[in-house]
Amino acid sequence: MPVIEDVIEFPSVEWFDFLCDHSREEPEIYEALGFANFRLAVEITRESGNPRQFGIFFDGYDVISYGELADGSTFDPEAVVSGSIETWREMANNILANGMADSSHTLNALSIADTPLRVYSSDPLGKDKFFRYAETIQTLFDATSRQREGTVVA
Amino acid sequence: MSTNRVDLDYLERAKVGNFDLDWLKNCKSEWGVRAKPSKVGLTLRDISIGSYGQIPDHPERRTMAPRGCDIDGELPDIGYSINSKNEVWAENVMELYEEAVSRQWSATRDIAWSELPELDRDLEHAMCQFATLLSEIEMLASDFPAKWLWRINHDFLEAKMFLCTQIMDEARHSEVFRKRALAGGGGLGKAIPIVEKFLQLVLDAKNYDEGSALMHLLAEGLVLSVFRAGELLAPSPVEKRIFRLCMQDEARHVAYGTMHLRYRLEREPALASDFHDYLDRGEEIIAVMFTTPEVVEPAAILAAGSLKAAEEIGLAASDILRTRVIEEYLSRCDRAGLPRRGKMKLPESILSGTSGGAQGLLRQSA
Ligand SMILES: [Fe+2]
Ligand SMILES: [Fe+2]
Repeated sequence: MPVIEDVIEFPSVEWFDFLCDHSREEPEIYEALGFANFRLAVEITRESGNPRQFGIFFDGYDVISYGELADGSTFDPEAVVSGSIETWREMANNILANGMADSSHTLNALSIADTPLRVYSSDPLGKDKFFRYAETIQTLFDATSRQREGTVVA
Repeated sequence: MSTNRVDLDYLERAKVGNFDLDWLKNCKSEWGVRAKPSKVGLTLRDISIGSYGQIPDHPERRTMAPRGCDIDGELPDIGYSINSKNEVWAENVMELYEEAVSRQWSATRDIAWSELPELDRDLEHAMCQFATLLSEIEMLASDFPAKWLWRINHDFLEAKMFLCTQIMDEARHSEVFRKRALAGGGGLGKAIPIVEKFLQLVLDAKNYDEGSALMHLLAEGLVLSVFRAGELLAPSPVEKRIFRLCMQDEARHVAYGTMHLRYRLEREPALASDFHDYLDRGEEIIAVMFTTPEVVEPAAILAAGSLKAAEEIGLAASDILRTRVIEEYLSRCDRAGLPRRGKMKLPESILSGTSGGAQGLLRQSA
């Protein structure tokens, strides 16, 4: 089981690794949701500096962390879910506080109006995959709550 | 050997172990095929190998003989009328079938019906009218594939199997919205002629092309966008989950419709003008729905959270939804190889804020 400090740095490779590693702790949940096949990039924009992207590959029932995507990465996401660092932190802290995202902090709720999160892709079917696998993706992000009690994402 | 004659002599021979064994010694189908399971199990893609994986563009036969088997004698003609692969195929159809089977859910078990909160009367009414509409239209997406399924040549088995999953998905969607209407005290609302008119257009389509474009691409694309917005419209976490689960299924149907049309048009590009005509007719009816109180007002009330709030903000939230629905539909049309931007023949007030009409396209490219 991965060890997480009380204060997790977000964004960080460790944060995404934790979520993906945790999916292996509860395989029955992912099996019940059904398999997926999706390369998703999570993009974090900041007031200054370039956005950072992290790759997640949903492969059957497995979820694999691809770490931070550098320029020229071969990960080739089918869709990108993008938002400010503040939005992502608020979502993560909401999950930590409630055990799972409350209904105004799910990925779908936050992205419906294209703000504060936005899902984009050059391929509309890639974007639609974000909805095809919505429950699986949300379950992955809800695993943020499995970090130690009292943890704050900062 | 197969005839209609009861062969009593054979029965006597077999009783004493004098078997025929022609099927054992003289079977001409491919031997030695060992499909290997991939990581999720043995998928349709995994068994699509050797002669069994060859899907003819125009099958010679009209029988239910499994593709790749040895055929003994004359089999009766079943009378299939869809005998060209490009009429039903999509490159993603095997994966979509597997995914559909893997991601089934139950409207009885997986929705927390006991947690449905008591709603304000107007809100309950709005939710029930919305659920009535959805329960009505969802069954179309079972009926349409069911109508055509038995006409599709058996060699396109994987496409038929995918359509079977869609029939089951849509039965569940019809079920879940009927259950929602009856679980919260409101009951069913009104069915209206314009909706039935659209359903009739799809069911009466003269060929699968027309019906599939109207249903898989136009109607289900719109419904997918509505399900996405369900997170905003839903008055409680119970409906939010209903919308999210339906959304997952709907996105598969749209993925099939989009990729099927692409497959079709890549091979028969001359059909594009027919498809534009089909969609013109369908969009015209959908546009009427955008101005029908039974469709527009429940969504406006649900989005606003109350009748009073909806009266204050009018259609502001619904307008955002309408714009998104149209833009997402246009993007899928592009992907299918049937660009509709600038080609939609609807009133400007319906298309405002989108690139559907000629003016909108000009504005967006300016
Ligand atoms: Fe549906
Ligand atoms: Fe559907």
